[in-house]
Amino acid sequence: MGMKISVRQICFILIMYTAVSKFIIYPTVLSHYSGRDLLFSALVDFAVQAVIVWAVSFLCSRTDKTFFSLLEGTFGNITARIIFGLFALFFLVCAVIPMFEQKVYVHAIFYDALPALTVFLPFFVFAVYAAAKGFQNIGRCADICLPIFIVSMLFIFAMSISEIKWDNFLPVLKTPAKNLFGASILTAFRFFEPCWLLMFMGHFKYKKGDAAKITLSYAAGALIVLFFLAAFYGMYGDMAVTRQFAVSKISLFFPAIDLIGRIDLIALYILEIVMLFAMIINIQLCVYCISKCTGYNNKAVISIALNAALVIMLILLDNKLSELINIWSKWMWIAFVIFANIIPLLAWTLRRRERK
Amino acid sequence: MKAKLKKLTPILYIFIIIAMLALFFTNDFGLLDIHKTSLIVAVGIDTDGEEVQVTAQVAVPQPSQSGDSITYVEVQGSGLTVADALNEINVKTGTYPRLLFCKLILLGEGCQSEELFRILGCFYRRNYSELTALVAMCKGKAQDMLALPANIAPENSTAIQKVLSEELKKSANVSTANLKSVAETNYSVNGACYMPYVEANVQGTSQNGGNGDNVGGESGEQGGQSGGGQQGGSGGEQGGQGGGESGGQQGSQNGGQSSKQEGGQMEFTARKTAVFAGGKFAGILNEQQAFALNILKNEIRLAVVPCDAGGIHYTVGLKSTSSKEKLKIVDGVPELTLSFSAQAQIQGAKIALEPESVMSDDTVRDDILKATEDEIRSRLESLVNTCVEEDCDVIGVKGLLHKFNYKYYETFKDDILARMKVNYDIKIVSLN
Repeated sequence: MGMKISVRQICFILIMYTAVSKFIIYPTVLSHYSGRDLLFSALVDFAVQAVIVWAVSFLCSRTDKTFFSLLEGTFGNITARIIFGLFALFFLVCAVIPMFEQKVYVHAIFYDALPALTVFLPFFVFAVYAAAKGFQNIGRCADICLPIFIVSMLFIFAMSISEIKWDNFLPVLKTPAKNLFGASILTAFRFFEPCWLLMFMGHFKYKKGDAAKITLSYAAGALIVLFFLAAFYGMYGDMAVTRQFAVSKISLFFPAIDLIGRIDLIALYILEIVMLFAMIINIQLCVYCISKCTGYNNKAVISIALNAALVIMLILLDNKLSELINIWSKWMWIAFVIFANIIPLLAWTLRRRERK
Repeated sequence: MKAKLKKLTPILYIFIIIAMLALFFTNDFGLLDIHKTSLIVAVGIDTDGEEVQVTAQVAVPQPSQSGDSITYVEVQGSGLTVADALNEINVKTGTYPRLLFCKLILLGEGCQSEELFRILGCFYRRNYSELTALVAMCKGKAQDMLALPANIAPENSTAIQKVLSEELKKSANVSTANLKSVAETNYSVNGACYMPYVEANVQGTSQNGGNGDNVGGESGEQGGQSGGGQQGGSGGEQGGQGGGESGGQQGSQNGGQSSKQEGGQMEFTARKTAVFAGGKFAGILNEQQAFALNILKNEIRLAVVPCDAGGIHYTVGLKSTSSKEKLKIVDGVPELTLSFSAQAQIQGAKIALEPESVMSDDTVRDDILKATEDEIRSRLESLVNTCVEEDCDVIGVKGLLHKFNYKYYETFKDDILARMKVNYDIKIVSLN
């Protein structure tokens, strides 16, 4: 079987998409629940995910099979299809909040005076096309996005670093444990990276040491998010809870902006490209799972149907982001614990052929 | 089929690229059609009983080839909340109801009786405005202050911004504050915040008997009613009558046009500082107390301190300054240590200049250094005393207790200002 994605591309995906999917409302929500100890709440989630990422990537060293083949070999074809059907639903659930957040963010920051829905609908023109593509496409996009990501993040961090007040984090760990861990659970629905890896399983050629590379890449993505959270809270302190769209707020106090205007918007525009691909990856994997579940290989048709469903959802639930986040925080975390934590670990129990 | 798809792929790519470019370039990039818009560059807020009166200084871009292309107009609105008033202004100006271009928020003296964040709260609502706008309190009514013609800029909001600037902040002459800093300190455990207090003075006048600190001159209130202030005055009157009603054209023209007038222009100063405790006005720090606050809170590039040594008045410049506040609990008593160090250089002396003596000025004499230290100490003491009397923790003592002595926080949080012992560690050395 031809390998569709490389370890390098998987590493890039974990570095970038892990980070950009947590730049919009996640910091504000975390500030609300954990206050100055928000880094610890985030660290708990990242540490759990890193262990699972390592477990899944290490599993890849033990088998050449895809996740579907492992399921099929253990439970039979029908059960494997059902499980992939559930994963398709899960990836759809994963796509919802980032999509709604993006809609609100793009409207508020870039297209203030235009109706939000109209501005966002063209996204689906692109999503239909991209989601019909396979893993090769996902990998190539990651290659293209990395330099863009690095440049824009350097730009944003450089403009914000001088305004960070590190003593805003003192005293450390005085927030009640209930709030700290509560915040980790309430934001758990934003962590689904191990599932990506589960889907990539068998589609890349594993070499010795790749598990460490993949896990370290995830850790790098986590570090970027942690630094971002530090910059955001360090800059706004207790006022962080009032600031939505964190990524567009942390460079506002750069002295040159007063003179030459919002140059940080250039970096935000560029970063938006990476955010776009990060948002689409869940839709791409959803299409892959539906294709596996149904055995219908025309991904273009699946992509059109899936994106049509998302458009309808977007229209029906327009302006319901807060309610959606509430539902996802209170109830959906269970689904995320099952699909992004428990199932990837249970994958070790599946019958596999040892690598030669 | 595959061959067809291969042919179609580049076309699809081009289609996607065109779609994306169309999406990208339909954005206005913040550029606005100057024929259709006007921008709020500053707002003044006054209170009138339950209502707030908001005066917006609006820049109206004019298509022009002569270069004089912007006029500034004051437009007033009123309502129970600032947002109500802004809405009325927006109705009158056609400006999109956000304050992205608003760089100055001026609170009138009347706001002293109100909860600060009842008035400012609107600006913190999600994404209504960025928190970079400067905030200041002014003497008299904000609407009058915004209507005064300025001498150093075409429109007075720019002139006021200049006296609140980052550059001035680095000379310890102003306690510059913006929306973020005000809320950040107010909602911290300190529960106190500060902002500059702006005064207007008639151009060309200066306060006599000063030692360098008493900046000012004839009160701006007179100036506001005469000279260039006639325009502002009329604007204020009209605004006062029409605020909140569906009235017709309000406001006055200022800035680009009024700046052409001769005389009657005003100078603005912001050496004093208004302080707030628990969101309520707590008093005004005089120039010396404000200076002390500024050297503690800001990075100073060059501060100027007057002092007397050997019967001669000196003006000493302080460079390479460093300050630190430290709180320790010693034997159950909170001890605050305010440290300040700087390198001194004589900038002026009230004696006739003798060229050969200037060489020796390079090394500042010990008695002048001591006099400078004493002057700084007295200013710091005065600041601390005011903070204690007003129970207004603008120095941030409670914050130090919370951050660095957390186990004592519950014990001292309510009365630490009254119970603390204050040490001063001031070191001024000669620059050369």
